[in-house]
Amino acid sequence: MNDAAATLRIETPADAHADGPVKIDIRALDFFYGKSKALNAVDLAVPAHAVTAIIGPSGCGKSTLLRTINRIFEIYPDQNAEGEIVIDGENVLDRRYKLSALRRKVGMVFQKPTPFASSIRNNVAFALAYYERLPRAELNDRIEDALRQAALWDEVKDKLNASALSLSGGQQQRLCIARTIAVQPGIVLLDEPTSALDPISTAKIEELIHEMRTRFTIVIVTHNMQQAARVSQKTAFFHLGNLVEFDDTSRIFTNPRVDRTRDYITGRYG
Amino acid sequence: MRDRAVRYVGIPAGTRGAAGDRLFGLVTAGAAWFVLLLLAGAAVSMAWGGRLAFETFGLGFVTGQEWNVVEAKFGALVPIYGTLVTSAIALVIAVPVSIGIALFLTDIAPRWTRGPIAIAIELLAAVPSIIYGMWGLFVFAPFMAAHIEPWLNDHLGDKAVIGPLFSGPPIGIGMLTAGIVLGIMIIPFIASVARDVFNAVPPALKEAAVALGSTRWEILSRVTLPYTRSAIVGAIFLGLGRALGETMAVTFVLGNAHDLSASLLMPSNSIAAAIANEFTEADTNLYRSSLIALAFLLFVVTFIVLTAAKLMLARMDRSFGRTH
Repeated sequence: MNDAAATLRIETPADAHADGPVKIDIRALDFFYGKSKALNAVDLAVPAHAVTAIIGPSGCGKSTLLRTINRIFEIYPDQNAEGEIVIDGENVLDRRYKLSALRRKVGMVFQKPTPFASSIRNNVAFALAYYERLPRAELNDRIEDALRQAALWDEVKDKLNASALSLSGGQQQRLCIARTIAVQPGIVLLDEPTSALDPISTAKIEELIHEMRTRFTIVIVTHNMQQAARVSQKTAFFHLGNLVEFDDTSRIFTNPRVDRTRDYITGRYG
Repeated sequence: MRDRAVRYVGIPAGTRGAAGDRLFGLVTAGAAWFVLLLLAGAAVSMAWGGRLAFETFGLGFVTGQEWNVVEAKFGALVPIYGTLVTSAIALVIAVPVSIGIALFLTDIAPRWTRGPIAIAIELLAAVPSIIYGMWGLFVFAPFMAAHIEPWLNDHLGDKAVIGPLFSGPPIGIGMLTAGIVLGIMIIPFIASVARDVFNAVPPALKEAAVALGSTRWEILSRVTLPYTRSAIVGAIFLGLGRALGETMAVTFVLGNAHDLSASLLMPSNSIAAAIANEFTEADTNLYRSSLIALAFLLFVVTFIVLTAAKLMLARMDRSFGRTH
């Protein structure tokens, strides 16, 4: 499916809607922190079952875009989004769209590992317990399944009741991924998931992202351009709150259409 | 100790700075030891002052419920019971309210209201306890007698297990009223510590819970409270420490009756209140010694409660790896 999508050539960002099956369709999205505008009329069609990387210099709105997709910004009273984000045919920015439904559909992993002060098992069962009433045996299966998918099972299977805080940073981050995919969301948002990790842990997580691509639609924000090139099929370049260019990753990194993109990926700023 | 101080700072011996550091080290060490000395001195002098009572009644001083001045029979069970029960009531009331206040201030209240509310809560801590006592006696106790206690009589007084707790004459003065007043008094202490602790929870952790679909309540119960567990228990025991030793407000509303009663509506006594009430009347050596022995028991009770809290915390920390 991806390969088919990759062979399609997109002429301009505006034509991106024409590409493959679209999972997240962002239309005319503006975002405000109080009065300052952080995103400016962003149109972006994120393809299903692929990894879409979002790159750009600090403060360009990458993380803001991610935080808008699952509406997590709403816990801060002075932040506001306008426009549409259509997932599975419905505008999730609509006030009437149920937050619990959205967050079941859209999982998120943060920059720093955020394990809760509880056991490894409880961390994975955390969200499962809200959405599904499972018999104990099935719950255990789901926990094992999530930990296997996050490539953590072999390291923790003998100590599921140990504190999640006793794990290493890389293990904690994979636990957070397991926790996120345990409820089987269609979409996983990754906000610089390896920026706090050592190179070996980073490599493991990148491998994991690569494997997850067949089951989830993944959007990853990263400061590391090599990472974007390694893990993603699509790349969006943001600058000063604007989407500058969105195309196949190979194209963005070898032959971008816009000068600003070229300047950024060749290290002239950012 | 001298070497250690010099080596620690890394200034060669013999310079002026080294001598100053040595002196500074001695002064701080002296201050620390002074506290321990003071504590031991207080404990010893109370035990010594109460030796006549302990010699006369033996263990019966702790287990006896009779406190009869005329017959010179003194047993401390009623004041000990009253102290523990009023403090327990205070905690039952203060802990949820304080955590509610702290949570509201850190997560829910609009930003501009947070400062004023926080200051108001801290001012509450500055109200002298005699004011709480007066208010308790003249305003709150009559209110309890007229409205709350008759209701408790009617609705809970005939229930199977808890019935005896809420039966008895609704006179307003008693353990329940004292416990509630105490609860109000310790709210600011618990709330302000809890607020600081909640503020220290990393926003990323809360966001992670929100991203998994948590409601505010789930964030509190499954993320914030587990993360801040040991500090919150510390805050609660700070409040408990104050409740155990609070004298004036309790003296006003507790009733000073040396009777052991299952009912929370009945007057009782607490250790601190008994001492405050009766010290001027203690005209025999045995009476005075018994009051000092009471003070020693308060010391012991407080020590036991706080030690138990520390042990509990240590156990929780062990079973969860760490908390902070």
